[in-house]
Amino acid sequence: MSDTKNEWELLVPIIPFLLVAPSLKFLAGWESVEAAFLIVVVPLLIFPAILVLGQLYNGNETWKNRYKEGGIFALGSLALSLSIAIWILYDYIVGSAHFEAHSVVDPFSWLTFDVIEQTGAQWEVSTGFTDIGVGVWIDSVTLMLLFVATFLCFLICWFSLGYMNTDKINEDSNHRFYGEFVLFAIGMFGMVLADNFLWLFIFWEIMGLCSYLLIGFYYWKDSAAYAAKKAFLTTRVGDVFLMVGLLILYDIYGSLDFAVIFDDPSTGVGGMMVESSELFWALLMLFIGAVGKSAQFPLHVWLPDAMEGPTPVSALIHAATMVNAGLYLVVRMVPFVDIHVNGVAGLENFALIVAWIGGITAFMAAAIAFVQNDIKKVLAYSTMSQLAYIFTGLGAGLLFLNIGEHHAGYFVIGASMFHLFNHAMAKGMLFMASGSVIHEVHHAHDHVRELSDKYSTNEGDDHGDFDPQDMRIMGGLAARMPVTATAMMLGSMSIIGIPLIGGFWSKEGIIAETWAACLHEEPLMFVPALLVLATAGMTGFYMTRMWLMTFAGPPKSEIVGHVHEATPWIKEPLIILSVITALGGFALALFGAVEYLGDPEYDHLSFHGILYTLEHAFLPEDTNLRLVGWTTILIAMVIGPVMASRIHGGRLIDGVEASPLVSWLVDLSSRFGSQDVSELADSQLAEALQRRLYFDDLYEITLAKTAIPLAGLSAWFDKNVIDGVIKQIESNSASGSVQVRRITTGSARDYILMAAVGMLSIFALLWGVSA
Amino acid sequence: MSSIITDMDLATTQLILPELLLLGGIIAMILVPNLGDATMRIPLTRVRIPILIGGTRFASINNPKLPNQIATTVLALAFLTSFLFLGEHGEVGNSLQVDEFSRLFTLLFTAALFLASVATTARLPARPRASVPLDTDSTTHSDAKVNALIDNRRQVDFHILLLTTGLGMSLMAMATNLFMLFVCLELASLSSYILVAFHKETDVGGEAGMKYFIVGSVVSAVGIYGMSLLYLWNGSLDMANLAASWKGMEVIDPFAAIGVGLMLVAFGFKVGAAPFHLAVPDAYAGASSPIAGVLATASKAMGFVALMRLLLVVTMPSAGQASWLLVLALVAVVTMTWGNLAALTSDNPKRVLAYSSVAHAGYMLAALAAIGSGLADSDTSALIATAVVFHLCVLVLFKMGAFLVLSMLEAEGRGHRMEDLHGLARRDPVIATSMFVFMLSLAGVPPLSGFLSKLLMINGIVNVSAGTGSASAATALSWAQGVDPVFWLAIAIVLNSALSLFYYLRIGLVMFFESPDTENPLVHSPSLKMAIIACAVLTLLFGIGPLSDSLLDMVGSAVDSFMRS
Repeated sequence: MSDTKNEWELLVPIIPFLLVAPSLKFLAGWESVEAAFLIVVVPLLIFPAILVLGQLYNGNETWKNRYKEGGIFALGSLALSLSIAIWILYDYIVGSAHFEAHSVVDPFSWLTFDVIEQTGAQWEVSTGFTDIGVGVWIDSVTLMLLFVATFLCFLICWFSLGYMNTDKINEDSNHRFYGEFVLFAIGMFGMVLADNFLWLFIFWEIMGLCSYLLIGFYYWKDSAAYAAKKAFLTTRVGDVFLMVGLLILYDIYGSLDFAVIFDDPSTGVGGMMVESSELFWALLMLFIGAVGKSAQFPLHVWLPDAMEGPTPVSALIHAATMVNAGLYLVVRMVPFVDIHVNGVAGLENFALIVAWIGGITAFMAAAIAFVQNDIKKVLAYSTMSQLAYIFTGLGAGLLFLNIGEHHAGYFVIGASMFHLFNHAMAKGMLFMASGSVIHEVHHAHDHVRELSDKYSTNEGDDHGDFDPQDMRIMGGLAARMPVTATAMMLGSMSIIGIPLIGGFWSKEGIIAETWAACLHEEPLMFVPALLVLATAGMTGFYMTRMWLMTFAGPPKSEIVGHVHEATPWIKEPLIILSVITALGGFALALFGAVEYLGDPEYDHLSFHGILYTLEHAFLPEDTNLRLVGWTTILIAMVIGPVMASRIHGGRLIDGVEASPLVSWLVDLSSRFGSQDVSELADSQLAEALQRRLYFDDLYEITLAKTAIPLAGLSAWFDKNVIDGVIKQIESNSASGSVQVRRITTGSARDYILMAAVGMLSIFALLWGVSA
Repeated sequence: MSSIITDMDLATTQLILPELLLLGGIIAMILVPNLGDATMRIPLTRVRIPILIGGTRFASINNPKLPNQIATTVLALAFLTSFLFLGEHGEVGNSLQVDEFSRLFTLLFTAALFLASVATTARLPARPRASVPLDTDSTTHSDAKVNALIDNRRQVDFHILLLTTGLGMSLMAMATNLFMLFVCLELASLSSYILVAFHKETDVGGEAGMKYFIVGSVVSAVGIYGMSLLYLWNGSLDMANLAASWKGMEVIDPFAAIGVGLMLVAFGFKVGAAPFHLAVPDAYAGASSPIAGVLATASKAMGFVALMRLLLVVTMPSAGQASWLLVLALVAVVTMTWGNLAALTSDNPKRVLAYSSVAHAGYMLAALAAIGSGLADSDTSALIATAVVFHLCVLVLFKMGAFLVLSMLEAEGRGHRMEDLHGLARRDPVIATSMFVFMLSLAGVPPLSGFLSKLLMINGIVNVSAGTGSASAATALSWAQGVDPVFWLAIAIVLNSALSLFYYLRIGLVMFFESPDTENPLVHSPSLKMAIIACAVLTLLFGIGPLSDSLLDMVGSAVDSFMRS
C-alpha cells in the first residue's frame, strides 16, 4: 500500500493497448467488425505470457510492484478488448452501414474433413465434405453481452489489482489468478462472438474449466477444492446435455453454423421441413446446458459454494461472464421459435418449461437468501433469483413468439436482456463492494489481532475460525466505509427495483408481460407469474436485510471500529459502476433499450420513445397489468424493506456520521419499530432454508448411492488394468533400456564384435533373399 | 584427375565455386597466420626481398580470433554461393556431377559447419589478451593462462579441420563414382575423428576419439573390401554403369550381393544404424558440443547421401522388391528401438541427443525401406525421398540448435549431466525456451518442422502400403493380416515416437521446473545466442507456413534431379 500517486503511474503500460483500436481505425483504416477477432486473440496471447513470466520472475520486486504479478498485462489486454467492443458498439448505434440484422466476418476454415460413407461392401469418400470454420457473428444480442462482459471484466480486473495484490495469502500466486482470469474472459468473449454452435460450445467449456480453476484458487483449503469440484461437475451435467442438443441440431440442419441454421430454421438439411417434436428435444437439451451454467433449479447447487473463490472471481462469475452464458444461449434460440420469421410452430411447451424453471428458481433462491448470514452467499442467491427472472421473461417471450404475438414477444425478450444488463452492472458492483467490506474487515481483524498479541501472552489463541464474510460481526459500517455503503445501497436498490433506478425498468417489464401471457394467452403461465411477483417483494426484504445488517445499527463487534476504506484501486471501479447503476438504467430505458434489444426491426431513437416507455411502465392501458405493476412497486419498495427494517434496522451509534442519503436511510430504517424473530428463526422452515431446502443433501445421498460406487469401480479398473498396463510398459521400457545400455560396454573391441555380428546378419539376410 | 585441371574454365569454376572457396579458405588459414616480415637475400646480391612467410608476424594478423573469422566467413560465403547457384548443374571431370541435389547438401553441410564455427567462439574461445603466466601466479591461475595460450595456438588446427570436413562432405555429395565417393567420405571422416579427439587434455575426449577412429577405420576397411568385390564383379565403379549391370542381372551375383552388404556396413556406421552405432554415443559425449552437432547433422546427412546413392541408384531394381528391403527394414526397426530405449535412462544430455540421433536414423531408414518395397510408383518414391532429405535439412536447425545450447553450458565446464540443465529457464528463459522448441521438434510435435518431416515420412510409408490391405475386410484384424509388412514400419515409428516423448519432455521438465545449482548467467556470447534463437524460429517457420512450403519445393526439385540421375 504505497503512495497512491505512484500507483497511478503503474497504469502507463495500459496506454499502448488503448491506442490499438484508434490506430487501427485511423491509420490502418480497418472496420470495427474486422477488428473484432482481436477481442479474443489479444488476451489469448497475453494469458500464456502471464503464466510463463510469472513462473520465471516470481518473487522479483519489479514483477511484483511494477507489473503487479501480471495484473497490469491482464488489465491491458482487457482494456484493448473493451475499447474494440466500444468501437463496434459505436458503429452499431450510429448505424454504420456494416450492420444489418447481424454481421458476419468471413470465417476461415479450421478443420476440413472428408465424410466416409458405406456403400455396399465398400467404404467410400463421399463427394461432399464438411468444414468447420472460425468466424465472428455480431448482432444486437452479441453486442449487449460483449459490452457487459468486456466492461465488467476490465473493471473487475482493475479491482483485483487492489484486492488480490494487497493480500499476503496471494503473494507469488497472483500470476496464476491473472492468467486464469484472462482465460475466463477469453471464454466469455469467444462464446459471445462465435459464429457457430461448435465454437460456442468450445468457449463454453473453457469457461467451465476456468471456473473450476478459479473457484479452487485456494486449492489447499478443503472447502475450496470441494466447491471447485462441485461447480465443475454440476455444470458438466448440463454440458453433456448441451452436447447432445448440439448433435440433434446437427442432425436436423446438417451444420452448426448460425448462418446456415438461422437463415431458415424451419428448413432442415436437404430442404426437409423441421419437425417441431425433434427440435423440441434439441432445444430442451440446450436449455439444460443453460440451466447448469446459469445455476437454475435443479442444477443450482454449485453457485453458493462458488463463493469459495476470491471475491473478484465471484464478481466475474456472477456478473460478467459465466452465468450470463446460459442466458445468451437461450436468447440465441429466439429464431427457432419466432414464427413471425421462419420459426417452427408448436414449441409452446418448451417456452413454458423455461418460464416454469425460471419462476421456481426465483422464488426458491429468494427464500433461501432470507436466512443467509454470509454477505457473499446472500448475493449468490440473489444472483440465482435475478437470473431466474430473466429466464422467466425469456420463457414468456418465447411463448409469445411461438403463438405469433411477436410485438409482445420482442418486448419481453428486450426487457429480459435489459434486465441482464442492469443485473450485471449492479451485481458486479455489489460483489466488488462486498469484496471491499470483506477485505477491510479482514485487515481490521489482522490489525486487532496484532494489537491483542502485543498486549497479551495468550499465544495459543489463533483466530482460525474468524470469518470476515459473516454479517453478524459487522453493523454500523456505513460510517466507516462511505463509498462502499453508498455503492452497495445503489446496487441493492437496482436489484430490488426501486422506481427509476436501473433494474426497475426491466423487472417491471418482465413481471407485467409474464402476467400478460398468463391472462391473455396461456393459463399455465399463472404459476411463474405468481412466483415472480412474490419474489419481487422477497427481493426487497433480503437485499434490505443484507444492507442493514452490514451497514446500519450499532457495531456488532470491536473489529468494526478499526475498519478503514484504505486500499487503493478498489474505490474507483465502485464509483464508476455506481454511476452506471444509478443513471444508466434510467437513461437507457428512456432511449428505448428494451425495444432496441429485442426487436430486430426497431431502429429509431426518439423523444416519442421516452414518453412511450414511461407510459408503458407506470400506466399501461390494460387495467390488469396496471394493477400488477403497482402491486410490484408496492411490495418491492415498501413491504419487503419495511419488514427487513423492523428486524434489522437501527441507528448508527451516536457521534459518527455517514453520507447524507445513507444516514437518512439508516434513520428511516429505525423508525418502523422492531420485531423479534428468534422464534421464527428456530422454526423448521428456517432450518430447511438454512440447509438450502435439502437439495445438496439429496444430491449427495443420490451420488453416494450411485455414482460413487461406480467411480470406485472405474478407479479400480483404471488403477489395476489401465495403469497396470502402462506401468508395465514403463518398467519394461526402463529395464529394456538398462539391458540395451549394458551392450554398450565402452570397449572398442566389443563394438567391433557387434559390427561383425551385424555384418554377418546382413549376409545371411541378403543370402536368404537372393537364394 | 588431370582432366579437372585442364578443363577448368569459367563455367566449371562457377559450378564448384563453394568447394573452391572452402579450398581457398584452407590455404588461407595455413598462410595467413604465418604472414610476417621475413625477407630473403637474393643470392650473390645484397638485395633483400620480402617473402612474407615467417619472421615477425604482422600485428594485424597476430590475432587468435582470425582462424575462426576466416572459417566463419568462408563457410558463410560457401553457403551463399551454393544458394545462388542452386539451379546450375553439369559434370566436373569424370566423377563429379553438380546438380540441385548435391548443391542442396552443400547448403546443409555448410550451414551445420557454420553454426559449429559460431559456437566454437564460446566453446573454444580465442583470447587475444592471453598472457604468459608469471612466477607469482598461483597454480590454478597459471594453469588457466597456459590453457588460454594453448587454446589460442590450436585455433588454426581446429578450423582447418572444420573446413576439410566441409570440403570432403561437399565433394562427396557430387560424386558419381563409388571410389570418388569413398575417398571424399574418408576425407571428411578422418577430419572428424580428429575433431572428436580435439580436446585431448580431457580423458573422455581422447578416449572417444580413439574409439571412434578404431571402429570407424575397421568399418571403412570393410566398406573398401566390399567396393573391391563390386569392382571385381563389374569392372567399373561408375554408379550409372553399376546400376545398369545390376538391373541386367537375372540371378543376383554373390560378389555383388556381398559387396553391397559390406558397403551397407560402412555407410550404416556413418548414419549410426544399429548395430554399428555403438561408438556413436561415446563419440558425441566425448566431442565438444559443436562437433557433436556436426556429427549428428552434417555427418549423418553425408551417410544418407551415400546410402541413397547405393540403395536407390545402384541397387534399385526397375520393378519389384529390392533385395535389401528386409535388411533395411530390420535394421531400421532395431535402430529406432535401440536408440529410444537407450536414451530413456541416460543421464547425460549429450548421450540422450546421440541416442535420439540414432533413433532418427532409424526413422529415415524405415522410409528408405518403403521405397525399396517396390510398391511405390515413381511419384510416391520421390515423395518419400523428399521427406527423408527434408528431415535431414531441418535436423540442422533443431538437432544442431540443441547442441548449440549444450555448448553454452559446456563453455562453463558443464553440460554432461542432466542436473546441468536444471533450472535453465531461470538462468536464461530465451535459451531454455529455444531448447524446449528443439526438443518438441525432435519429438515431432506440431507445428514444428520435426513434425512435418516425420508426418511426411509416415505418410509416405502408409501411402505405399495401406492400399495393400483388403478394402472389403470386415474387421481391422483381418485388414491387418492382409496388409503389406511395410505398413508395420509406420506403426513402429509411431510407437517409438511415443516412447521418445518421455526423454524429450524430461529435458523440458528439468529446465523449467527444477531449481538451478547456480544463478549465474550463461556465458556471454551474443552471436551464439542469436544463432540459437534463429534456429528456434526457423524450426517453427519451416514447420508451418510459406517458408516450409518453399523449402519443401526446393527439396522436392533436388530429389527430382537425384531420381533422374
